[in-house]
Amino acid sequence: MNQRVRVTSPQTRLALRRRSDATRRLSRLAGLPQVGRSAIDLDDAERALRRQRRLAIRTATLLLFALAALLTAAVLTPGRLGWAVLFFAPYPVLLVLAAVHVRRAERIEAEYCEDD
Amino acid sequence: MLGLAAISLVLASSVVIGVWGVRAARSTPDFLVASRSIVPGWNALAIAGEYVSAASVLGLAGLLVKNGVGAMWYAVGFTAGYVLVAALAAGPMRRSGAYTVPDFAEYRLGSPRIRRMCGLVVLVIMLLYLLPQFKAAGVVLELVSGIPYWIGVVGAGLVVSSTIAVGGMRSATYVQAFHYIVKLAFIAGPAVFLIALAEPAQREAALDPSADADWSRPLLDLDGSGHPLLATISVLVATTLGAMGLPHVVMRFHTVAGARAARRVAVSVIVLLSLFYLWPVVYGLLGRVTTPDPEETDVVPLLVPSAIAPGTVGAVLTALVAAGAFAAFLSTSSGLLLALAGGLSHDLFGGSLSRLRLGVVVGTALAVALSLPAADVDINVLVGWAFAVAASTFCPLLTLGIWWRGLTATGATAGLLVGAVTSTGAALASVVLGLEPGIVSVLLAQPALWTVPLAFTVMIAASRPGSVPDWASEAVLRLHVPGRYSSGDTGAIPRERRDNRVDAPGETG
Repeated sequence: MNQRVRVTSPQTRLALRRRSDATRRLSRLAGLPQVGRSAIDLDDAERALRRQRRLAIRTATLLLFALAALLTAAVLTPGRLGWAVLFFAPYPVLLVLAAVHVRRAERIEAEYCEDD
Repeated sequence: MLGLAAISLVLASSVVIGVWGVRAARSTPDFLVASRSIVPGWNALAIAGEYVSAASVLGLAGLLVKNGVGAMWYAVGFTAGYVLVAALAAGPMRRSGAYTVPDFAEYRLGSPRIRRMCGLVVLVIMLLYLLPQFKAAGVVLELVSGIPYWIGVVGAGLVVSSTIAVGGMRSATYVQAFHYIVKLAFIAGPAVFLIALAEPAQREAALDPSADADWSRPLLDLDGSGHPLLATISVLVATTLGAMGLPHVVMRFHTVAGARAARRVAVSVIVLLSLFYLWPVVYGLLGRVTTPDPEETDVVPLLVPSAIAPGTVGAVLTALVAAGAFAAFLSTSSGLLLALAGGLSHDLFGGSLSRLRLGVVVGTALAVALSLPAADVDINVLVGWAFAVAASTFCPLLTLGIWWRGLTATGATAGLLVGAVTSTGAALASVVLGLEPGIVSVLLAQPALWTVPLAFTVMIAASRPGSVPDWASEAVLRLHVPGRYSSGDTGAIPRERRDNRVDAPGETG
């Protein structure tokens, strides 16, 4: 197999990529099929989308509940403790929500890449 | 004078870092997203640096003194926004390969008209956000050096636009990362000193929640409307959903290597924001005791040090805080101007590098001109509106565009129009009409609670199922598949031999 490979500098690759970006945009505008895109498996992609969407909805709902709970807690807790709830409690909660989401999203992506 | 010296030092270091960071800003992608080669750690620092604006450094403490401890809900919303950024937008947006929100809209909806419309919305959001930054620069300079407000604002505009027009995003990244560190150090450091220097009676009074029931209630009531819970919820909706739609934040995610990195950067930003938002509270609580009735609430953090420690110590601490506040102005406004320049030239006029530079200059001039009469408006009120507009326009556009295949160009256009008109209209009306405080005045001044659901509804309702183009499904699916397509995304490449697959020239299966 003597396949020829074109060797280019990073700058050239960058320039080529830019040109292909422009081409893609033009072909989209002209209503032509897009060029230079790789193949994707539609069934796999469909599954990935559904799982990621479920996860995203779950995280958004949890965020809604978390903020509502924090608001309620801050209002109902009297005095300084209520202040402390507002000043300090939200940040760890938010961090955990985001970190858990990212871990799960990455796991879904990993499965998607491996299970075929 | 000490304050002016500290500000000059921050400015000088920013210019040095900026010049060092300039590496051939030759083409539009280079200028806008630094050729996508910026390391994630720097990026998180830069996003936080850009995001912690004058609203956080000055506005929060001022609002806390003026309206009560509920002002900190702004900080909670600013941070909570990044949970949604990580969950809904960062990864797929990075995979879309678009440079800006308008780019994404065109990728997803295939309509150049919607690109121009998004460009206009970018302008509105950016201007609403830039105004308070320039106001902050003006009041800080006025306080530390006695320079008239307008000279400070114009000077600040010259400095920012010249550094950006020369360096673009690459220099902005390092400069903004540096500014995050400056802000954290120069706000947290003096705060620790102030806690130590304050008399025991002052500390006691600062932590006394029984002083004023309305003030110490942990809800946000902007003008005594009698509906604090409603106002708080609306502010939370605007700030949480708005962060996702802020064009300069979205643009930042295109400077990391891939979708995975983009998501992780969002999480790091939450950490950095949490670290910062512990400190405005100190200035707010001490400010209420030491400077209970300031003429200009937005400079409270600058007044507290000399009120607690008169003399040299107070002067030094004031200078540090002033430098931190000026860093906030510099980093946020340079990030905003870059996005504004993108909106002006790249999206509206098709874009070359010289136009982009011109865009920076024009954007600055606009913001400076508008911030001269805005001297009396609270920083956080203006920033709150920028978030409300972003939440009512780009948040539904990105959320639906990324996760729902049924969104059409018509639906998106209708939703964007309704969202932009209602949110800006409500904010304007609340200024112009000067209504009696009540439910209506709250819903006009804090419109996100109803404008966001409205925009979502219109976008969904106006997207007729019959008019979804056949490539839309693939455009959405590609946003969620790891690997290729977008340049630099380093995921695994799916193997061959699939039953149902599309090949390069793009026949939808």
